[in-house]
Amino acid sequence: MKISNGKEKILVLQAIAFFIIVVVSFTCSATAQALLQSGDKASDFSLKDMQGKEVSLSQFSQKKAVAIVFWSSWSANSPKALKRFEEFYKNYKDKGIQVIGINADNQTISEEDMGKISKLTKELDITFPILLDKNLKTFHEYNIIALPSIMVVTEGKISYELPGFPLVGTEDMFDFLRVQSGEAPRKQMEAKYKPRHDAIADASLARQFVKKKMYTMAYPLFLKAIEKDGKYILPYIELARLYELEGKKLEAEETLRKVLLVEPNSVVILSELGYFLSKAGKTKEAIEVLSKAVKMNSYTPAHYYYAYALAKDGKFKESLAAFDESILLNPFDSMIYSLRGEVYEKNSMLKEASSDYKKALELILKIKN
Amino acid sequence: MEKYFKITEVRDRGWKGSFLSTLFYLFFSLVLLALTVPDSFAQTGRGKAESLIKESAVLSEDGNIDKAIEVCKEAVKADPDYAEAHDQLGQMLLRKGKYDEAISSFNSGLKINPRLRSAKTGIGFALLKKGDLKGAETVLKEALMLNPYPSTAHYALGLVYEKLNDYDKAVNQFKEGIQKYKSGKK
Repeated sequence: MKISNGKEKILVLQAIAFFIIVVVSFTCSATAQALLQSGDKASDFSLKDMQGKEVSLSQFSQKKAVAIVFWSSWSANSPKALKRFEEFYKNYKDKGIQVIGINADNQTISEEDMGKISKLTKELDITFPILLDKNLKTFHEYNIIALPSIMVVTEGKISYELPGFPLVGTEDMFDFLRVQSGEAPRKQMEAKYKPRHDAIADASLARQFVKKKMYTMAYPLFLKAIEKDGKYILPYIELARLYELEGKKLEAEETLRKVLLVEPNSVVILSELGYFLSKAGKTKEAIEVLSKAVKMNSYTPAHYYYAYALAKDGKFKESLAAFDESILLNPFDSMIYSLRGEVYEKNSMLKEASSDYKKALELILKIKN
Repeated sequence: MEKYFKITEVRDRGWKGSFLSTLFYLFFSLVLLALTVPDSFAQTGRGKAESLIKESAVLSEDGNIDKAIEVCKEAVKADPDYAEAHDQLGQMLLRKGKYDEAISSFNSGLKINPRLRSAKTGIGFALLKKGDLKGAETVLKEALMLNPYPSTAHYALGLVYEKLNDYDKAVNQFKEGIQKYKSGKK
């Protein structure tokens, strides 16, 4: 095939551009992937412990598994999680399991915060490293959505994630860690689902196109990812969001309902569908869907979407209580304040609305007060 | 240029060959650039000022504002015509609560570059902190006209209206800031 010099140059440049996009898509962290990060590379971090000594994730690369516990002194379940992990650590640290606690009390840790952190860890007699997450950098890198949250890293990849410290799910996670240490599981464990690599690659590339507002390029890639791995729920959700963004509400709803059939008990899908239905004015169904999601685990968006749906249904007091629940889980999620601001605004409570929108914008812009 | 890339020879080697050769040349050029440019650049006043500004940002992140201010002053000294150095000094002075000095530093930056996007917002913040709400409102509105990344300016203007107890306008400004950020206009 004969190609002119000019065309050849263009082809070479296009190939380089494509190559760069592919590389970038694999290296960028996906923000929309909270709770769906299993299989992703675990970002390395280097944080100071309470004595000022640097501790990094990579220094534990020889361990069979590293359990990272994100926690805060103000969250009700954090002491329980720390206590339970300390017991576990004592028994399993010599079997290749490392536990790291990452404190996320505040964007900047004040002396008062330090006092609380120190008091709590002493009271609980914590022996695993407790690290301080300056500016919550690691918290955001790992897309943490609730406190406490646990991320298990094996062979440099996230292999298990557990938001909150729910009754259901926590024992499965400890079982998973026991298996990593070489022990037999206490109960029959289902083989953990891992999305196909080529489907992850397509979804990842599609996400980059969405970021660049190249929507026509993104659609076929999301669809390809779904076709390659019908159980991989992330491309469905992102495709639905894209449809909604482009005003294709019917397609968005269809996509969410379709993926719900694939994973009827996924808290992420229930939350997304519930939120979509609230916005579409189907509040009764939204509340039904979201109340199921709220009961499942501590996935913060489920709680604030539920709160939003309640407000849309005229249940203002219940709505505010549900918003408070989500703040207890993760006060650093700007969406809580954006949605509550909207609720206040609709109820003509402009002072409160202003305060919430301000808080949301401060979190988005990372403005410290 | 064509001779340099040896397009004809590349074509003879087929598609894979041409792609790999291009990547090789690209890599080689980047390595050369990385080895030669920064050293010579760093020796100039601009290079020094830029690296000092980066240093001050790290110091500020660590909460060491006094040291960050010192470093910014060095940056301004190294290159007095560098508007961003004045702007960064203004930001640090603002954080330290030295509002008049901050305004003066922002103005120095604006004299060099009247379209310096964060300096006007900085002046707005300083006036707000000084309690000059009307002055802050005017400057921030100007900043919004200048600024292609206006979320911070919307935030500051929201604060002004909040102080003026005009919550309707405050709500609009904060919401606009959120929306602009989400649409990529940070």
